[in-house]
Amino acid sequence: MLRAVEGLANTTRRAPATTRILCHDDALTRGSLPSAKMGRVSIRGVAKQFGPRAALGPVDLDIEPGSVVTVLGPSGCGKTTLLRLIAGLERPSAGLVRLGDEPPLAARHGKRIGFVPQSPALLPWRTVEANARLLQDVNRGANPAYLPDAVELLERVGLGEFRDALPHELSGGMQQRVGLVRAFALGAPYLLMDEPFAALDEITRAEMRHLLDELRGGTGATVVFVTHSLAEAVFLSDRVVVMSARPGRIVGDVAIDLPRPRTPDVEDDPAFFAYETELRRILREGLQRSVAAG
Amino acid sequence: MKRSAMLWYTLGAVVLVAVWEGIVRWRNVRRFVLLKPSEMVSTFADDPGFYLDHVWVTARHVGVGLAISLAVSVVFGAVLAAWPALEAASQPLLVLIMVTPWVAYITSVVLWLGSGTPSIVFLVAFVTVPAFVYATVAGMRSADPAARELFASIDAGPAEVLWRLRLPAALPSLFTAARFNVGLGLAAAYYSEGSAFTRAGLGAIGKRAANANQGAALWTTICCAALLGIAAQFLVLLAERWLLRWHASQRLSPVP
Repeated sequence: MLRAVEGLANTTRRAPATTRILCHDDALTRGSLPSAKMGRVSIRGVAKQFGPRAALGPVDLDIEPGSVVTVLGPSGCGKTTLLRLIAGLERPSAGLVRLGDEPPLAARHGKRIGFVPQSPALLPWRTVEANARLLQDVNRGANPAYLPDAVELLERVGLGEFRDALPHELSGGMQQRVGLVRAFALGAPYLLMDEPFAALDEITRAEMRHLLDELRGGTGATVVFVTHSLAEAVFLSDRVVVMSARPGRIVGDVAIDLPRPRTPDVEDDPAFFAYETELRRILREGLQRSVAAG
Repeated sequence: MKRSAMLWYTLGAVVLVAVWEGIVRWRNVRRFVLLKPSEMVSTFADDPGFYLDHVWVTARHVGVGLAISLAVSVVFGAVLAAWPALEAASQPLLVLIMVTPWVAYITSVVLWLGSGTPSIVFLVAFVTVPAFVYATVAGMRSADPAARELFASIDAGPAEVLWRLRLPAALPSLFTAARFNVGLGLAAAYYSEGSAFTRAGLGAIGKRAANANQGAALWTTICCAALLGIAAQFLVLLAERWLLRWHASQRLSPVP
């Protein structure tokens, strides 16, 4: 009898991560959260000035719930500013941002945003596991009913053995994997990622985008991903939005119609190259136009 | 510490004591000016309980004073770190505390707070506040900006940012300040014990010995104070090893 109960306890504990994440997905669609529009991101006429300088826009953008949209642009074009406006870390000088039907500040308040910064920003005094749980541990009151299991996520990204390690013992790629897990462990309906792989070498970068795509599958989260890497944009996205140089405006909007789930070999597909070529052309045109205008 | 380093450390200590002993014997230095280490040991051995009691009193004065100072400074520093205008406004006070010779105003403190422990603990706490405050402000400001954004992205409250991010980030500089303040606090305790009309504490018996022209007793209290300081530094070092094991300063250098 006792053993049977123990066995039961074990099976619940070891339930595969996908089930957990699907549970969380259920919670999203069941309407326990504020709105039926949950997961949609709407940006209307959003512009940002820093002092006398225009940094962004005006930009209009609608992102479908559960989709992955990449914002691609040359450095300094304001794509990070756009992401920070969506995250509510910056206030727009004009226009309106809505996550579902709530303003970014309300989404932040309800811990509905999983943010992945450019640097991994791990706390050096916390172990890998404690770092992965950081967003769960802070502002606990606002946690959702179902939290993904941080340890299982760590195992999925191959860091199970490093649970008790300190961040300085990890390589750059491993640190950023912890950064991803930390965001996914929040079970948030919005994931905002600010060039998270920019500092990594090419091989690790490729590995990371494959891993990210795998982690995201099944969560149902809406992802806004900022990058200047064409391969990252094509591999990860349902849609790529291309921005011109500062002040950034949207100069291209390309739907990426590659089958899902995507495996690394999709990157050898002629269609993949065709998308890269098209995006490169739009980027170049955007740059030329801003040079001509400026 | 590596074994070879430990060996050199011990050798350094032995040579220091031997040279000291040698100079006093050879030059025939007056006892009041400098005492032979061997005579300090024999003076101490004559009545170890007496000296240990006073070591304990001084240790308490320093310990309580530093604890109060640290608590006040961390709270004060956290407020200043969050409020630059107040930080600027409090500079005159902090600088004044640092540069004014406390030896000069101890009598006024005793007059104000009365003889004995209150005055002594106050002085220890008062003179060690600036170093702790500066360390807190600088350390809290140095918290990783990306981590601060991360905390903001989930609407973390100020208390949580303080406890989970800013305070740990301030620990390395707080430990540096603690090492400095242990010496300063000990000096303040020893001197104020001698001036606060009290009979307890190394400073009090040191002062009486000096007045009675007892060089041996005076130097034995000095020696006890020094050993107390070394023990306190060692405690700080142990705490640092434990609390800062994540910090670069505590890792063995890969380059010899």
